[in-house]
Amino acid sequence: MATRALLAVISASPNRCFISPSRIKILQSSTSSSSVHFHRHSRKIHRIARSYSSDSDSSVLQPPDVSRLAQTARISLTPAEIEECETKIRRVIDWFGQLQQVDVNSVEPAIRAEMDGGNLREDAPETFENRDSIRASIPSFEEAYLKVPKILNKE
Amino acid sequence: MLSTLQPPRSLSLLPLRRFQISKTIVSAASSKTIDTSVISPPQSQILTTRRSLLSGETTAVEIAKSYLSRIRLTEPQLKCFLHVSENVLKDAQEIDQRIAKGEELGPLAGVLIGVKDNICTQGMPSTAASRILEHYRPPFDATAVKKIKELGGIVVGKTNMDEFGMGSTTEASAFQVTANPWDLSRVPGGSSGGSAAAVAARQCMVSLGSDTGGSVRQPASFCGVVGLKPTYGRVSRFGLMAYASSLDVIGCFGSTVADAGMLLHAISGYDRFDSTSSKQDVPEFQSQFPSVDHFESKPLNGVKVGIIRETLEDGVDSGVRSATQEAASHLEALGCILTEVSLPSFSLGLPAYYVIASSESSSNLSRYDGVRYGNQVMAEELNKLYECSRGEGFGGEVKMRILMGTYALSAGYYNAYYKRAQQVRTLIRKDFKAALEQNDILISPAAPSAAYKIGEKKDDPLAMYAGDIMTVNVNLAGLPAMVLPCGLVEGGPSGLPVGLQMIGAAFDEEKLLKVGHIFEQTLKGSSFVPPLLANVA
Repeated sequence: MATRALLAVISASPNRCFISPSRIKILQSSTSSSSVHFHRHSRKIHRIARSYSSDSDSSVLQPPDVSRLAQTARISLTPAEIEECETKIRRVIDWFGQLQQVDVNSVEPAIRAEMDGGNLREDAPETFENRDSIRASIPSFEEAYLKVPKILNKE
Repeated sequence: MLSTLQPPRSLSLLPLRRFQISKTIVSAASSKTIDTSVISPPQSQILTTRRSLLSGETTAVEIAKSYLSRIRLTEPQLKCFLHVSENVLKDAQEIDQRIAKGEELGPLAGVLIGVKDNICTQGMPSTAASRILEHYRPPFDATAVKKIKELGGIVVGKTNMDEFGMGSTTEASAFQVTANPWDLSRVPGGSSGGSAAAVAARQCMVSLGSDTGGSVRQPASFCGVVGLKPTYGRVSRFGLMAYASSLDVIGCFGSTVADAGMLLHAISGYDRFDSTSSKQDVPEFQSQFPSVDHFESKPLNGVKVGIIRETLEDGVDSGVRSATQEAASHLEALGCILTEVSLPSFSLGLPAYYVIASSESSSNLSRYDGVRYGNQVMAEELNKLYECSRGEGFGGEVKMRILMGTYALSAGYYNAYYKRAQQVRTLIRKDFKAALEQNDILISPAAPSAAYKIGEKKDDPLAMYAGDIMTVNVNLAGLPAMVLPCGLVEGGPSGLPVGLQMIGAAFDEEKLLKVGHIFEQTLKGSSFVPPLLANVA
């Protein structure tokens, strides 16, 4: 198994389909009894798969749109960084694709390790004593306000 | 130059015996009987310090000076620390004053502790090795640091790491590359590479790290020290800069199992500032560390140990495999009942981990916006300010993981990636649970190889991620695990250490510490001291 995972890592290449059409069939059949909501997702995954279709389909491989992702994540990237990220991210996303083969039908997702509940403290405001230190960390600060570029009444 | 220096007095407290390296591998005892005549067990630095302070044999200031002197000598080569505290001697003086007044000493009095740079220390730089937090000094201590200080521990400084914990070599620090004390041309592992290397080089006695997918255990293996990852919830994460909140834990490094265990005891327990911290009792671990003189002939008689089959298959270096198998034989010689166990979901952990960790990081790191703290790049427009501050502040690996996480969490992709990875987490948890119902502990290598060369995997993310295969599943299941040195393989000037991973049931760190301590104390030639330190001494 270690072998398989390590080999999967080694063999993941930019030219491989990240979700093959056969994997999508597995995904669809495993979710066929689910809600319309899930079908909608399956169709979306179909679309994603088409855009990442394999060499054998002779269509152009499209990596994740790094420029758009960077815009969503509010990170400026240089053209060189976009190019580098595209290659690397595409390989990793392709490698993530192996999870589509797993039968997770009726498996509940686990959001974290099992833990005892009821540990929330009372939702009451408390005064933090060291306010000056917090203020000292703020890069642009003016008269009790955080200073940022103008966002209202712009031309 | 080295010979002109006064040998620091506390150096005599350090075990400086070294392994005799054979051509291929020197590792755990392979014989079925314990030969006590050749045993030279490592000594707890925490207990030794306490004894020497209470007996008046030395002072906290003298000890602190000796460690600072060693830092000065070794740091130009190693680069373990991003910041060394100016207050070490002052803190040590306070301990000495308490001793002079006959006041009670905390269990960590005079103990010199390195703290990973993603753990907040009040008034001391805490940057997570990122440009975006360069010069940031938090207004508060992380709960773990606060507890250490309350018990008399002295924070020596902040240790280097992969930026925000994202990496396995410490090469992804924005500021410097840390070298492995066993071979300066090799990585110390990561992401807590600075904390591991600092303990290995005895620049501090113990240290704190953080472990999201193996970031304490893998560098412990690479540097030949003990690395302890507690159960998720055992230690408060308050003040630990979040990377992947469902996986992150603060962990401990020491040169002995006892040191790592005592440090864990100091920082454990419920904290109202972290709702995921547990109210489970924290047992007194110290009773698990008896002297080797008190061991019975089969001190681990009847302890059931499962060796994970999937961790010893192809893809794992032969030296690592041999060391693990010989460590298993040593456990058998100590009385353990050894069986092979299979975790069918084992290979799924790695991709599931990277989906979850990237997704959660894309959310967690949105707080670094250049507005409230950290570096700001001023711009005409607010979104540009965010984009430029983050673009200039984050390094390449961090940007990549945020973008991958943004992708995996995008509308329409969530079920295919994040949710599916969470379902895989359930499968992994179930497999571990079943295996731990049949066994007291599970064992595996800590990493598929010993430390590799600096730069070897830097530009190949998948090759780097593959090295985490032994450790990520434990984080997904939230279980405690400890890595301790079990042998050396060929490489470097005097061999490279290999770690054995022991995995326990949730909140059963006690058993790991008991087995680990007896294993360590009975291992033939069990002092793992890197060549660099021998030269300094």
